Amino acid sequence: MRRNRPAWFAFARALACVAVVFAGACAMMPGAATRAVSPRPTLRVSELAQEGDARRRASTRLVLDGLESETRGSENEALARYEDALKVDANNPLASLALARFEIFAGDADRGLAHLDRYAALAGGRDDAAAHLAGLRGAALAKLGKQTLAAPYLEEARALAPAVWADARLEAGELR
Amino acid sequence: MATSRYMRRRGGWLAGIGWPLRAGGIALFLASAALGGIAGGQLVQLDRIVRERFEGTLFRVPSRVLSAPLILYPGLDFELIDLRGTLDRLGYREASGDSLVLGRYRWSPRELRIHRRAFEHPSRAEPARIVALQLSGRGIEGIRDLQTKREIGALFLEPEQVGAYYGPDREQRELVRIEEIPQQMTDAVMAVEDQRFYWHIGLDFWRIGGAMAANLRARSFVQGGSTLTQQLMKNFFLTPDRRMKRKLQEAAMALITEARYEKPAILEAYLNEIYLGQRGATQIHGIGEAARFYFGKPVRDLSLSECALIAGLIQSPNGLSPHRSPAEAQARRDLVLRLMLQQGKIQQDQFAEATAEPLRVATVTPDLRDARFFLDALRRELPNYYGEENLSAEGLRIYSTLDLRLQRAASRVVREELARLEKQSRFLAPKGTQRLEACLVALRPQTGEVLALVGGRDYAASQFDRCTQARRPAGSVFKAFVYAAALEPASGAPLITLASALDDAPLSVPVWRGTWTPQNFDHEFHGVVPVRTAFEKSYNVASARLAQIVGIPRVREMAQRLGIESPLPNVPSLALGSGDVTPLELARAYATFASGGIRPRVRTFEDVIDARGETLERQSIEFERVLDSGTAFLMTSLLEGVVEHGTAAGIRAAGVAGPIAGKTGTSNEYRDAWFAGFTPEMVVVLWVGFDEPRSLGQAAAQIAVPIWARFVKEASGGDVAGIFPVPGDVAELEIEPTTGAIALDGCPERRAEFFLRGTEPVETCPQWRGAPTPPPLREREERPSEEPQRQRRREDEEPGLIERFRRWLEEG
Repeated sequence: MRRNRPAWFAFARALACVAVVFAGACAMMPGAATRAVSPRPTLRVSELAQEGDARRRASTRLVLDGLESETRGSENEALARYEDALKVDANNPLASLALARFEIFAGDADRGLAHLDRYAALAGGRDDAAAHLAGLRGAALAKLGKQTLAAPYLEEARALAPAVWADARLEAGELR
Repeated sequence: MATSRYMRRRGGWLAGIGWPLRAGGIALFLASAALGGIAGGQLVQLDRIVRERFEGTLFRVPSRVLSAPLILYPGLDFELIDLRGTLDRLGYREASGDSLVLGRYRWSPRELRIHRRAFEHPSRAEPARIVALQLSGRGIEGIRDLQTKREIGALFLEPEQVGAYYGPDREQRELVRIEEIPQQMTDAVMAVEDQRFYWHIGLDFWRIGGAMAANLRARSFVQGGSTLTQQLMKNFFLTPDRRMKRKLQEAAMALITEARYEKPAILEAYLNEIYLGQRGATQIHGIGEAARFYFGKPVRDLSLSECALIAGLIQSPNGLSPHRSPAEAQARRDLVLRLMLQQGKIQQDQFAEATAEPLRVATVTPDLRDARFFLDALRRELPNYYGEENLSAEGLRIYSTLDLRLQRAASRVVREELARLEKQSRFLAPKGTQRLEACLVALRPQTGEVLALVGGRDYAASQFDRCTQARRPAGSVFKAFVYAAALEPASGAPLITLASALDDAPLSVPVWRGTWTPQNFDHEFHGVVPVRTAFEKSYNVASARLAQIVGIPRVREMAQRLGIESPLPNVPSLALGSGDVTPLELARAYATFASGGIRPRVRTFEDVIDARGETLERQSIEFERVLDSGTAFLMTSLLEGVVEHGTAAGIRAAGVAGPIAGKTGTSNEYRDAWFAGFTPEMVVVLWVGFDEPRSLGQAAAQIAVPIWARFVKEASGGDVAGIFPVPGDVAELEIEPTTGAIALDGCPERRAEFFLRGTEPVETCPQWRGAPTPPPLREREERPSEEPQRQRRREDEEPGLIERFRRWLEEG
């Protein structure tokens, strides 16, 4: 024999269902925190040095020179090299990526985000760039004081490239 | 008692001398004392003058503006960039023998070897290096450092001087320290001007005696006996006249200077001060500047024969100029070398080698007259504390963004094309002092660097910069902002896609003083037309109607967001470009489309360096995303259509191939002709008109487009490189052109079209379900647009959170 339940029980059950559906939907929304990701190869500029036409290769070479200068501690020289890389090939995504990294860690995080945005527009679809995209965005947001927003991005970067992003930083040598 | 004692004492030593003699003696004594006092006072004053000069600012050095360095890299067309001409202007010379000494190059069909000089740069300092460029056809295939045997990605050549901020005296000098000056330079100068410099005390009595004897023999002034120190005093403080008073002052000051300062300090001052020639209206002072002017290189790199030539010029810089009188200059050089040999400064073999060297001087490169608009724009961009006084005296080096090759091409094209236009039509011919004017500004969209700027046809006639200071009605160039506002999914779905249709039927918009009824250029109406056609053919009525749908405030906001800073009127005619804007603003706004929605900060310089080499200012690349990349790409695609099929098709007819996007603009009564366009790597805005507005008699397609096309053709060689990359949020579909439906198999007509993802059409051809109808306009047409627009909620904008969540769920 079925027992009649009170109205509040039906209401609570409906509420629970809505909460479950909403939580599920939130989890699927883009940018939502912890997605299940597994480590994958990360982009290194030196591995892409031979990609593209002669102009692109010359531009990428300048990016590499800049990363080398940064490793030596010559930051001004590095910045000039990245900007030169853009002058040689304005649409070289690696120049934008290097500038984004430079600005986020050594300059202006807002400017870095703009460079990152440009990188994403030029080459955002690359699978091996996902870790750097997430990590740099997280690092920039953290530098801007938006720790809550930064955390999921940094977590994603760590999950994608634990060897590189474990310390929430991307060194010039690691990008090189 | 006292009196008698005094008298007695005086009487003692003057005893026996009569009173007239005594009085005369006293007078002589007093006169001598007075003269001595005056002379002493004069000496004290001269000493103060000398000290003030030597211990204060010794020289006023104009700040110089340098171009962007030329970057050579594999893939570059060396003919296009005029590499040989650039090397020549920089003072590089073709090597004659086997050795490739510093500053020389050797050009063979397959290879160019350069012994590139070291150069200073705040962030791109380069050591000297020998490099080999592998050539193929017109292109550079590779670059190799011959010392390290390594391939290098890019080679930088020294920046060229664009101009300088002179004081009223227009003296240009490059200061050099005595340690930087080669010994053979000082030896050459002393050999010919003052061989006992290190032995005299400021005056060379032996030489003065010799000069006096020579002058007496000739019974006129044929020879001077001035030392370097005397010459320096004359140049620093005195006039060149030969009066005794001036000569005495000169001698006294020379003695004071020698007593106070060391010989090397005096020599350094002399070598930096001496006048050595003329470049147009600019005086060349000092051996540093002379080395650059005559040989295009720093003084430390001068050869013996070059040192001798400069030393020889001191006597008569213009009469012995190697540019004007090469034979006389060479004879004088050889004389200096002979004196050096006689004085034991050089050996016989050095003498023989140096005199055998042919006279080779750099091409005279006068300050670019047409770059003065750029120099003025740069000065305005510098912070206020770089006043005119500082700029003309502090010897700053300003590393600009200017591409000298493009600047030269822009100046030439503007000048020649305006002259051509003036002959072509009576509308364009000069009337009184009113001549046809133009301005051209070129930017690199991704970095905001100003690559070329020509603010008018003749700086000497008018310094008014029409690129940065003139606000003129934008005409149809402004329509791009209307379409961008309509295409942007700023908050919700965009109002149109590129497959939409617009109604080009009569339109009346009530305005404050009646009704505004826009007309098309051909005075016809074209009915329902695709968005692309309306934009490419620049239909006014369809565009004005679209602006009404979008809302004028939103159009204004879009223009301002993209980079327009001039005040814009809140009137319906804004859609057709009734607002006044500057060409530079338009360039910035179009650069935002070209760089995928990222608005760059426009900059004319990168670094400002002081005389000690310290960086005072640095401008990095700065930009901000102000438009989503998808909308920016759709606009680029629309603008490409204008060049392919629309009002700017003349660009293709002029022989320019490759990706180009742009928009023509003609203001009311043909008063202004514009073309704002871009390639993947350069935005160029061109304006043509009269300063006192009057009709040009023709549209922009006839006036502005040919000039723009010629400039871009010269800049690119006629084949524009690169692509406009398609961003990830844009999809390409085949559609049926008249209806905008997706074209399936069996659809009779089709063309490719771009859509923001999520805005693709749902209708299909052949099973299409009817043409999209233009949005209803009646309601908005009835509202006068001059009234402040009230905030309103529309179905197609600002959907609520629930609605957005619902759409997201629907889209999966």
